[in-house]
Amino acid sequence: MALKPDTRSDYHMRTPSHVMRLSRLGSFHQSRLSFMRILTRCIARDAWRFSRPVFEINENGVGHAVYCAHTPDRTYSLIAFAHDIPETARSDRVIAQAWDSTFTLFDGVPTSEDIARLAQNIPLQEAGRVTQTELSVSRANRSVRLWEHVISRLASGQQPDIDEITKVGYLMRTTAVYGSGKLGAADREMIAARPECAAPFQIEMLSVYLTRTYVRDLAQHMANLRGGPKAAKLDPGIARAMGIGNSTGLGMAPFLLNHPQLFHNWIVARETAIARVRSVARASPAEIALFNDLLARSIQSADLWRSEHPVQVQKLTQLRIDLQTLAAHIPNADLSGNLPWDRLLRWADDALGEDAQECLASLILEPYPYLTDPLAHEMSDANSSLCRINGAMKISALDAILQKHYAWAAQIDWSQKKSDARVWYISEEKLEPRLGERYDEPIADYEQPLCPGRDAKALMDALAAWDATQTTAAFLLAHPEHRHMVRRAQIVDNAPYAEIRDNTIGSDLMPIDMLRCKLSFFGATHFDPRSDRWVRICLFGNAPYPEEIDASNADLWPYPPHDLTSQ
Amino acid sequence: MSYSLNEIETRAKRAARGAGQSWGMAEETGKATGWLASYHLPATALLADLLTHNDQIAHAQTSPQSLDIPWRAPSGRLCPLASGAALVDCIHMLTHAKCITLSTISHPLLIVPFAAWSADAIKHPISITWRDIQIVTDGIKLSIKGPKNQLSTPSAPSLTCALAPSIDADAQPPGQRGEVDADAWAKLDAFAHRTYAPDTPQSRELGAGAGGNDND
Repeated sequence: MALKPDTRSDYHMRTPSHVMRLSRLGSFHQSRLSFMRILTRCIARDAWRFSRPVFEINENGVGHAVYCAHTPDRTYSLIAFAHDIPETARSDRVIAQAWDSTFTLFDGVPTSEDIARLAQNIPLQEAGRVTQTELSVSRANRSVRLWEHVISRLASGQQPDIDEITKVGYLMRTTAVYGSGKLGAADREMIAARPECAAPFQIEMLSVYLTRTYVRDLAQHMANLRGGPKAAKLDPGIARAMGIGNSTGLGMAPFLLNHPQLFHNWIVARETAIARVRSVARASPAEIALFNDLLARSIQSADLWRSEHPVQVQKLTQLRIDLQTLAAHIPNADLSGNLPWDRLLRWADDALGEDAQECLASLILEPYPYLTDPLAHEMSDANSSLCRINGAMKISALDAILQKHYAWAAQIDWSQKKSDARVWYISEEKLEPRLGERYDEPIADYEQPLCPGRDAKALMDALAAWDATQTTAAFLLAHPEHRHMVRRAQIVDNAPYAEIRDNTIGSDLMPIDMLRCKLSFFGATHFDPRSDRWVRICLFGNAPYPEEIDASNADLWPYPPHDLTSQ
Repeated sequence: MSYSLNEIETRAKRAARGAGQSWGMAEETGKATGWLASYHLPATALLADLLTHNDQIAHAQTSPQSLDIPWRAPSGRLCPLASGAALVDCIHMLTHAKCITLSTISHPLLIVPFAAWSADAIKHPISITWRDIQIVTDGIKLSIKGPKNQLSTPSAPSLTCALAPSIDADAQPPGQRGEVDADAWAKLDAFAHRTYAPDTPQSRELGAGAGGNDND
């Protein structure tokens, strides 16, 4: 069910035209509503148990392991296959054919027959087949430099250098985590009714959480084999600083456009939370203290965030300056006065850039779990069927929707080449999603429907020739080519945060803005673009491991501890 | 082999697009194929046959000429997917007219998912009838009466869509997986491949934008 925008008069919802711009979406930060945090809170609240029934990996780093997560009702098992691959084969792209480790999340506890079957398929990834007992398929590659640093240090009886670890943030990075029926796995609908799967991407997040534990254990195991009795045991504090990386390309960007209702549900949940906190009349001293503590830790997190990409370097520089500006403003912000958070966000609108504004918007939610966390239940899209077009709608009403929600698209001059310079397409090679140049490459015939701005303008133009009293059904009978856009427009009328209100095929498009938006909802930190369409991030950095997790540490772990670095 | 409904929908959608459907139609074709497959009906085989039959034929030639009943195609044979989309769009007509008739339609089983979505929209069971087959759906359950060999018929001289008084208590609920016919699956894949751009050195190097070295 869709969460409607909150219309209580004492709430100040930011408008879709303010929020749904690419530059702002590309500045989002993790929050209490991030899917990783929803998972770790669930694990602690329901007191999940964890076990490792199998760990059979030889001196070459080849073998398999099984990690079980026991919820009150059932067990999920990560089956990890460890491989020894040549350096030349190591690629993060979809076109790769070998990986350092491959994984599946199994529904239940696998038998030896299950493991034998999966050993024939999971290492092949896209070239393999799985069944409805498998919930996800994924793979990961080492950060070669950090892997060697950690293992050689431990093998020689020393601890790894925490500064080296924080520079990279992870020992392995995943390069795809497939769920929802891919490669024959169970569809999301098969598990959606389970309480632990109610929020989006909980299976994928659990897979990554268990993968992080496996990677830590594998590193220790390899160090023990290399160092023998003199090998050191990895310090738990250093281990905690290691997350799991993720290397992500364009495949993630179309997701936001292909799931408009779901995207709306994510955004409107966060916006509703922000609006609720803005309406808090008075903040208690404890709430203010928590905010200040997490602001200080956010400043530290921004300092640890590394990127060499020019755009991100500039954004990071501004974010660091802005967060200092924010910290300097706090003593004068009178947070114990009336409507403290609303006043702070209004101040930020003028004083800070979008990156820091969004960091602040996420931060103010932290002291208010009772206002924020219940919204997590509204973030899925329970209705997996296609939105039915309302054919009885009059042309006048359809046109009014377009004028209301797509006025930005009508203002773009689509006759200029720069306006539709790009084409989203799928390459024949392993079906890799790509973005190309319409006027330089022979790809326009293969275009995917990922340009709602242009399509909305074309629909408006077509409707102008029609009698306003006619029905949408009659229009679509004559114009099936507008069927996709008519459906979108009718969705957006009920779900106004469903649409990115920017040109997604313009020459100045930065696909990483779309990636960052989605990844922020996962809870990712340390967004590190490798190009305008490729990014590395860190997941579960500083999170408690399965043997440590409880109510005291399950929630605020994305904010690094004050004493994380060696300085 | 058992497939996820997501896989079936995705391949059917891409195949429909590859066969020339608009993206909006292809989306519905994908969902319709998954819907039928969830009732263990021969969805992929019928779709592959229909797309092959209608390949290179313009949508306007196989969709209803107008919304005046009975619906007819300019080509003489209605496409069940185009007709189904029109049916869902016009479901408000059915509540007034009680009955919409279609003359000569290809692969009539493929219109049933659209009738199901219509039934869900008006919260009333709908019947689809051709020859000796009568199918009733309330949007979730499906009741089929008549000789099973007529379900896969490549065409029917007429088809009637009407409000049904009720649906049988023992009507079939959907399953969660689908079986596919291997030949049909391969045919759909061939249609889907028409939507994939052949690689060029430029697209391989720049299109995904990964660049750089992953051995770091």
